Formats: sequence, structure tokens, C-alpha cells
Amino acid sequence: MSARITTVVLLGWLLLVLVFIFAPIVAAVVFSFNSDRFPTIPLGSFTTHWYDTIFADAEIGEAARNSIIVSLSTSVIATMLGFATAYTDYRYSFRLKGPYLALILLPPTIPLIIMALAMLAWLSWIGASGQLWSIIIAHSVLTAPFAMAIIRLRLNQIDPNLEAAAWNLGSSEWRALRSVILPFCRPAIVSAACLTAAVSFDEFAVAWFVSGLNKTVPVIILEIVQGNIDPQVNAIGSLVFLTSITLVVLAQVFFISRIGRT
Amino acid sequence: MTDPLVILSGVVKRFGDFTAVHRLDLEIAAGEFIAIMGPSGCGKTTTLRMIAGLEAPSEGEVRIGGRLMNDVPVHERDTPMVWQSLALFPFLNARENVEFGLRMRRIDAAERRRRAAEWLGRLEIGEFAERNVDTLSGGQRQRVALARSLVTEPQILLLDEPLSALDAHLVIRMQGVLTRLQRELGITFVYVTHSQSEAFAMANRIVIMSEGRVVQVGQPREIYRTPENRFVAEFVGRNNILAGTSRGDAIETPLGVFPAAGLPAAGNRATLVVAADLVEIGRTPSEGAIPCSLISEEFVGATVTLFLEAKDGTELKVQLPERALGDLDPHAGGDFHLSWPADAGHILVES
Amino acid sequence: MNRFALAFRLPVIAWQGLFFLGPLFFMIAMSFFLVKNYRMEEAFELKNWARMLTRGYVWDSYWYTFGMAGLATLVATLVAFPAAYALAFRVSEATRRWAIFLLIIPFFTSYLVRTFSWYVILAESGAINAGLGTVGLGPYTMLNTPFGTVVGYLTLTLPLVVILQTVALANIDRNLVQAARNLGCPPERTLFAVIVPLAKAGLIIAALFCFILSFGDFVAPYYMGGSKPPTLPILIIDTTKSGQQWPRAAVVAVMMMLTLFSIAAASIWLAYRKRSSA
Repeated sequence: MSARITTVVLLGWLLLVLVFIFAPIVAAVVFSFNSDRFPTIPLGSFTTHWYDTIFADAEIGEAARNSIIVSLSTSVIATMLGFATAYTDYRYSFRLKGPYLALILLPPTIPLIIMALAMLAWLSWIGASGQLWSIIIAHSVLTAPFAMAIIRLRLNQIDPNLEAAAWNLGSSEWRALRSVILPFCRPAIVSAACLTAAVSFDEFAVAWFVSGLNKTVPVIILEIVQGNIDPQVNAIGSLVFLTSITLVVLAQVFFISRIGRT
Repeated sequence: MTDPLVILSGVVKRFGDFTAVHRLDLEIAAGEFIAIMGPSGCGKTTTLRMIAGLEAPSEGEVRIGGRLMNDVPVHERDTPMVWQSLALFPFLNARENVEFGLRMRRIDAAERRRRAAEWLGRLEIGEFAERNVDTLSGGQRQRVALARSLVTEPQILLLDEPLSALDAHLVIRMQGVLTRLQRELGITFVYVTHSQSEAFAMANRIVIMSEGRVVQVGQPREIYRTPENRFVAEFVGRNNILAGTSRGDAIETPLGVFPAAGLPAAGNRATLVVAADLVEIGRTPSEGAIPCSLISEEFVGATVTLFLEAKDGTELKVQLPERALGDLDPHAGGDFHLSWPADAGHILVES
Repeated sequence: MNRFALAFRLPVIAWQGLFFLGPLFFMIAMSFFLVKNYRMEEAFELKNWARMLTRGYVWDSYWYTFGMAGLATLVATLVAFPAAYALAFRVSEATRRWAIFLLIIPFFTSYLVRTFSWYVILAESGAINAGLGTVGLGPYTMLNTPFGTVVGYLTLTLPLVVILQTVALANIDRNLVQAARNLGCPPERTLFAVIVPLAKAGLIIAALFCFILSFGDFVAPYYMGGSKPPTLPILIIDTTKSGQQWPRAAVVAVMMMLTLFSIAAASIWLAYRKRSSA
């Protein structure tokens, strides 16, 4: 049957596409344990040398500390912004709601390099550049839309009468929010925090522009890559992958998997 | 009968462990308007889809015009269908939707346009030809779907509950359109529906299906007045169904003994069916009449259905025109007395 | 409006106004500023614009960036489509959900490290050339070529394009496909007669995202493409980092934004265009 052949060809193509997408991730991990300075086929011997050198490097340690501070702070601010917008969109309709939503949803449609330049110029103008919190401010703007989208999807699933029922039973608006809406949204909030942290943890363009001397891990990678081929990048990269993938999987466990099913 | 156009013989359709259609045998004559009717899940749509080739039978044969169709792919069958959802192509306008089948047959553009215009005109929607189908009303969309299926001048048209999404008054209009078209074209219409009123209003012949099996085939009047089994008696019309025992020339039921024809030998089980519109109702007791009390009533337009209960708890229904209620006054309380002429009863003998 | 509602609205408006709109508008204003003695001065002069728009190298960069992003969009669309088609029509819903989850992962993992991996794999002494060498082929130069740039762009965009295309295709009403078959459409014609027209909006939006991401990316053209000529994002970096000419960089950024707005508007018009209702 020709239909069967088509199916096999299509699935084969799909497999190739997946290989293309995941090859660089797998390769970075494999190369990070490989003794060759310039990895190729056949592979050299197994080593943890590159990990030893990065753990001994004070600058990388400092960058890791910065990255953790930035991504945690970003995830808190971005999730709060995302929740406030999602809840406003869910509950209220008002004139200028379109522009209001655009204000939070548009940043990802603007190329990062442009955001980087704009952030750098503006933050220096108001005297807020070159600090760790400059990166946090910039990242919170860039990642808030992801939090908004995830929390908004969760609010779609709530029975709209639930909150009104709480008011009807005598709760204040704040009280109803705390006892009805927040518990209902908790998985989405955790998931949003994980994803915004993951995005912030990997972002390099804006961080590179506004960070000044406070480098994060991706900025260090960028600087190493600009120099020469250095397998340390693979070791750092593998650890970065591990962190990001853990965060995405956590987000999935908490929430994304539930969106697909009703 | 001349050679039938469609023959289904021993057709079985299984989906995994579930059998949707059990050993179906059905012949459909050329030029007939046949309705396949039954509750949802009875296999009527699956049967239609097997004729169209959208489902392959697990067993048995499908023949159209004498040709074995089992291995003929959908697009080579020329069995156009009018879908429940209409399935109009949203990216094409009304005319382009109608032209679709012609385009697939590689008919040149000028000829396509001419034939599409002819069919749009015939269905009185010529003025909407260039309109986006989203902007048309339900009735207009329905006509586009019909034109799209008929433009290739097929021998058979399959219709899968096409009127179920329309408002009541449009349904009546479209029934008129469909009956007229079928008569003028002289082609076969196979119409699947769960609606009695649609089936009885249009079809020459009705097939009743239940749980994947054909339970009765006949003309609308036969089905209505002489159901062959309990399922049809319950599904079609409003019938009083009383189980009992034959005494040869009468049937003994918990509500009394009623003379009836067509009974099995004395002592055998049988069922008496009396249509609700044949039951007579009065306020005064009479010989053989069944005393009942009223449970509830239903008004549909000028027709009233009274639901009553006999002393032993048996539920009975009476249907009568509203103006015949007279001084019956259902709300006054008290007993009613039910009876029916001896020839109103119809006997079911089930094996 | 009560305090409760304002408590959710105002902080967001203030934060995004200060840190999203503020930077963007300031950047536009900055494109008219002057630089004197390595210091930026507020002004409203067209000098930066006049200078940048009359330089050949800026236009070379512009058209090169535009062309490469367009090429990447074309390649990504064509490469992703069969994969998305397989996911939409040839696997179970559970498999599809799993595949989409897998495709989300790279979106949140370091693009920089993935590009570096490709750099090592595609190098003249890298894994691919070593593999080809064993069968007597190569070595081929893949880095510092347009091929390298496109591989880099695809690393960034392909997962997203596959996801968006899959969603577009999976949302097609299967009845419409069956209706086409029922009206005589043979299997080999369903793709262009019904499936592509039905998924058109989603396919265009996927391509649009691919173009936006590629057009604004500096990693692929710099590390994989060798920056010859530099693309607009590389121009922004060079002008900002080494030349201290922020206003000129702002000119390039505004040019990029205008281009992307036009492309986005055109794509959205194309995607959601309705026929005129006569």
C-alpha cells in the first residue's frame, strides 16, 4: 500500500527533525565528558576534567551565584505581574483592555537585541544600569508574558461562579482571592515561576548589555565562545541544560500536562 | 422490483471490540427516497458512511449499480453526502464550494462556472454565489451544501441528519425543497435521521435500526400503524403497550380481556399495541372501559397527550386534538374511563 | 473602580510603562540624539539617520539579513511541514502531546550552548566531516557560510515552527477532509485542495515567528555564518559595544522594528484575509 509507505516516510522525516533538534543538546553533554580539546569522531577518552576546572573557577562560581539570584528574583516579579494581568483579564472588561494586555504580552515579539539596546540606553539614562537588579528588571519584562499565558489558561478552567459564591457567603474580595482563586491557580503559579526562571536563566543578549561587571552564566559562556574553542563551555552548558530542563519538566509536572486534558 | 441500486449484504462493521452494525442486509431501489431512522448509536450513520466508503465493512459486501464497492476508494465512488455539520469549505466562497467536485473531475473553468451557476440558481441562492460561506444563514448554507453534492449529477445522494441544526420553521421549508428535488431528479436519496417527523414527511420507505440491526423496513404508514416489534412500537409514535396471553381470539392483559386478530395459539405470550390517538376517553364509566387517574399532560400545538394510570399502576396514554377535550377538564380531578374499538389493537408476537 | 481592581492594574501598568514602553520610546528618541566627545547629548537631529541610510554597508547588511531570515523561514517551513503533518495525522493524540512537550524543551534551553555544539559538530575537523571522511567524502566547509547561518537559525526556530504547524494541522476539522474525499478529491490532491488552505493562518503565523526570530538573532550569523557581511543585530552590537555610537545603533534598531511591523502586518492580513462579501 502506498499509504503505508507515505506514513513511514513521514515518520522517518519527523525522526530526522527531532534528531536535528536534540543533536546539539546530546552532543554538548557527550563532549563535556570527552578528553579531546576539539571533540570529533572517534571520541577521546572519558574525563571529568572540564567539570573540575569550572568548579575551580571563581569567576564561574560568581556568575552562577548571580544567575541564581537573577532567575529567582525574575521569576517572583514576573509571576506576580503575570498573575495580576491574567486575573484582571479574567475578571474585568474595560475600555483600553486591548492596549493593557498588549503592554504585557508584546515584549517577546520584539527581537532581544533591540530590547537589549533599548534597556541599556534607558536604564543608563535613569541611572539604573550595570547592576544585578538591572538584569532582573529587564528579565521580568521579558518573561512576564509566559507567566500571564499559563495562569490565564488555568483561570479559563475555573467555574466563574466560585468567586461570586464566596462573596455571597460573606468573603471580602481579598479574602475570596486568597481562599478561592489563589489555591485554584497554585499549580499554574508554580509552573509559571519555573518557566520564567528557566527563560531568565538562559537569556544572554539583554543580560550581556545591561549587566556591566555583574556577569551571569550565559554571559560568561558568550565571552568564552567569543574567544576560542574551549570544552569548558560544554561542561557549563550541560549543567545549564540540566537546570533548564529540570525547570521545564517541573513546570510540566505541575501544570502544562493538565492543560491538554480538559 | 427492478435491479436495486444499492445492495448491502451481510455487512458487519466492528470498531475494536464494539460492533456498530451486525449482519445488515438492505436493498435500495433506484429513484427511491429511503430514510434510515433510529436512536443515536444504532448504526445508521455507520451504514451511510459504508455506502460512501468512509468506513470499510469488516465483513459482507456493498454493491452500487451492481459493482462491488468494497475496495473502491471514497473519491472514486460518486456518492456525495450532505453532512450534519454541512462541512462547507470555509476558505472557498459559495460558488467555489459548489465547483469543488467539478474541479476534482478536472472539468474546465468555464463549464464549472456554468454548472455551478445553474445549481445555485436552481436552489434559489444564485445571488449569494460570491459570498463567503460564513456570512450565509443556516438555510442558505444548507442549499450550498445540497448544490455542492448535486452538481456532479450523481445517481445517489446521501444525507446525514442534514436538518438537525436548523430552526423548526426552516426544517419544514427544507423538507419541501428536498422532496421536490428528489422527485424532479428521480435519483436515490438515502436519508439518515433520528427525527420521526423528517423521516415520515419525506421518505417512501423507512428502515428502523436499533443496536446495529434493522428491526423493521416498510412504508411510513405500515411502520406507524403496524409495528412489528416492541422496539418499533416504543420508538415510533405514541403507543400503549400491554403484555398478555393469547386466548385465541382475544388477549388477556392485567387490564382486562380484549378481542384482537392475529393472535398466536391460545396460551402463548403476546403483546397488544394500541396507538394513543385511537384510545377513547370519557368521564362516565361504561362496559369494559378502564378507570384511570391523570398523572400529567403535554400540549404540543393543537394536540394534547394525557398520561394516565390504571388502578394496578399500568401507565396509559391518550392523544387527542385540543378542541376535542370539550368538557373533559383534566384539572377537575376524578376518574377517567378509557376504551378503544376492537380493531384499534395490533398484536405483536415476539419470538 | 475600586481599590481592589486598581491594585491589580496600576502596578502592572507602571512597571511595564517604565521598563517596557520607556526603553522603546527612549530608544526611538535616542536615534535623534547627538554624540559629542564620547558623550550622548539630547537633541533632535536627523544626522544619525542621514548617516546610516546613506551608507552602503548598512544597506548591504539590511538586505543580507532580510534575505537570510527569509531563506531560513522558507527552509524551516518546508522542513517542519512533513514532521508537523506526521504529528497531526499519523500518530495518536498521546504521542502528539508527548512530542509537543519534547519540542517545548529546547525553547527553554540555552540557544548559545546549542549553537556552540553545532559549531563543534560542523567544523572541518568536526564529527560530520570525520564521519563523511570514513566514506571518502569531504571535508566540507560548513561554518562561516550561509549554510552555517541557516543551521543556526533553524536551531533557534525549528521547534517553534513544528509546534505551531502541528497545532494548526491538528485543529483541522476532519469532516472537511472527508467531505473533500467524498466529493471526488483523490488522496494526493487533498494536501493542496483542503489541508493547506484550512491550516493557512497557522502556517503563516509559524513562518512569521520564524522570520522575526531569525531577523533579530545575532548568534547564528556571528558564530555559524562568520559575520560576512554582518547582519543588522551584529551591526547593533558593534556600534554599541565598540563605537559607543548608541544613537546610530538605535537607528538600526528602529529600522528593524519598522521592517518587522510591516512584515507582521502583511502576514496577519494574508493569514486572516476574508473574501469580500458582495
